[in-house]
Amino acid sequence: MDYQSAKPLDPRVLEAMLPYFSEEFGNPSSLHKEGDAASTVLEDARRTVAAWINAAPDEIIFTSGATEANNLALIGYAFRNRNRGNHLIISEIEHISLHNIAKYLERNGFRVSRVPVDRFGRVSLSKLQARITPETILISVGYASNEIGTVQPVQEIGALARARGIAFHSDGVAAEGLLNIDVQRDNVDLLSLSANDIYGPRGVGALYVRQGVRLNPLIIGGGQEKGLRSGSENIPGIVGMARAAAIMSREMAGEVPRFQAYRDKLIAGVLAAIPHSHLNGHPVERLANNAHFRFQGVEGESLLLSLKQKGISAMTGSACTARTLEPSHTLMSIGLLHEEAHGSLEFTCGRFTREEDIDRVLEVLPGVVERLRKVSPIYQGNEG
Amino acid sequence: MDVKPTAYSARVLDHFQNPRNVGVLEGEDVAVGRVGNPVCGDLMEIFIKVVDERIADIKFRTFGCGSAIATSSMITEMAKGKTLDEAMKITRQDVATELEGLPPRKMHCSNLAADALHAAIQNYRAARGETIPMESVAAEPEVSVFAGEEAFLGKGVFYAVDDPALLKDQRVLVLDAGPTSAILSQDLMKYTDRVIFLTSDTPETSGKTAELLKQAGVKVLFQSRLKEIKGHDEVEKVLIHDSAENDDYDLVVDAVVILRGACDA
Repeated sequence: MDYQSAKPLDPRVLEAMLPYFSEEFGNPSSLHKEGDAASTVLEDARRTVAAWINAAPDEIIFTSGATEANNLALIGYAFRNRNRGNHLIISEIEHISLHNIAKYLERNGFRVSRVPVDRFGRVSLSKLQARITPETILISVGYASNEIGTVQPVQEIGALARARGIAFHSDGVAAEGLLNIDVQRDNVDLLSLSANDIYGPRGVGALYVRQGVRLNPLIIGGGQEKGLRSGSENIPGIVGMARAAAIMSREMAGEVPRFQAYRDKLIAGVLAAIPHSHLNGHPVERLANNAHFRFQGVEGESLLLSLKQKGISAMTGSACTARTLEPSHTLMSIGLLHEEAHGSLEFTCGRFTREEDIDRVLEVLPGVVERLRKVSPIYQGNEG
Repeated sequence: MDVKPTAYSARVLDHFQNPRNVGVLEGEDVAVGRVGNPVCGDLMEIFIKVVDERIADIKFRTFGCGSAIATSSMITEMAKGKTLDEAMKITRQDVATELEGLPPRKMHCSNLAADALHAAIQNYRAARGETIPMESVAAEPEVSVFAGEEAFLGKGVFYAVDDPALLKDQRVLVLDAGPTSAILSQDLMKYTDRVIFLTSDTPETSGKTAELLKQAGVKVLFQSRLKEIKGHDEVEKVLIHDSAENDDYDLVVDAVVILRGACDA
């Protein structure tokens, strides 16, 4: 029940990739027969990935993943367009990679504003607008939160940015395979994608760069990927990403209603069975596969540990599992107190989740929470 | 995610799954030690019952991760029957060793059990005039105007709430200004599910009021005071001082209610 940290490789994707590790070893830059074949494969893959998000093939730059795509988008855009202004806006609820890129840009002379979110995790358009200055060159707001599952009003943000002549970047990773991503409809100028989030391999992703948007490269070399991302292309990875995108384009419409039914069953079941439990994130505008709870008086890592012993995996925003020993910035941004953020638990379902998995959580979780609350000095039910 | 629950020893997992001596103790010869780290998210209480300078009984309650629960449980077993002097000598390392080790990062943050035990012993001795208590809370002077208060008046700072519906779905911080502010907090829960009541009282001194507020779903922050109101051009965050922990932290809110003069009303 954790499809957020990583997704398994779809066996059909693996099958498509395998020949490119051995028999099909050509380098697209070579002029001989193998090189030509690799070049065709690469351009076919580019077309497939572009079609998935309604882009043109030459607007797709393959990268080593979404983190690199985020770096190329923000750093590449900021440095290339510095003469137009030195101010960027990101939302408080962005993925940690964007927060750290923003800090890097601040150390390099840029100003970054962070727009807050409401108690459901939605970016406020009026607060975004209030932060726009004549110096603003880029706005970055992701399609959805990878943690609490809240979906952002991306189309409206894109329209706002477009009207003010500001580039709009969106991290699409959390929404992949769950929302219809359409860079034309949503006025997106730069979009980060990861292959793993559509059951493709790790170590490959892409940045969509709208025709006419100029970037500085971060990796300089032989000029591959229109000079924006040098280095010999990861052909097996790119083939895997394309195969995963093709499968997703066909199967998403069938998968999403199933996830949503599981999610709704899980949310209703947990909130009914466990007193002092809350749903984090938006009740309606949320990813179809995401259920994110908090339980008063218990801590997330001890929840994970108890569930693990019963064969269930999940995620928490508690500091006790984080490298920094700080609770999740996303949970802080919706206004939770530390002790509340520490009691959070996230379930995400995916392509290989079955209804039995939901039933198992509903069978086990109430007892786990109850047991930990008996040990807790801050559970309200223990008082008096 | 590099601290995996699997990094715990079998003994840690055993104490986590089957904690010993869970509960509270009461009585003349009982003392309690409370320690916690709000950033890390652990809070621990150890109760000792002392007979003839020996720990005759011991109980604990812990909010925290796997190792926080396991170390609390472990130390109750180690301390039971020991004299107070012997128990004072139990170190964090002793607890970790007895548990066949802890993941390195957990040594710092979750291994508070020894501290809680020592605090209980010191509090026991202090109650008998032997030492200074561990939990002497210095009273903070009340500040009447908060940084940012005037700048945000009408932009999220309210001196009166005539129509609570205007705060629908907002995250509202209400400062304790006596019964009127408590009643308002309860009222607001009809319009939003996020009302936070900030008081300098402790759970003990606040008594019935806090109980009623909690039942209504209001989040009560004890021993706390507002230091600063922040935002772009509306209220977006407050800086709160926690007197018990002597710590400041940011909290995201949309509105701050300061009922001026409500105390005298």
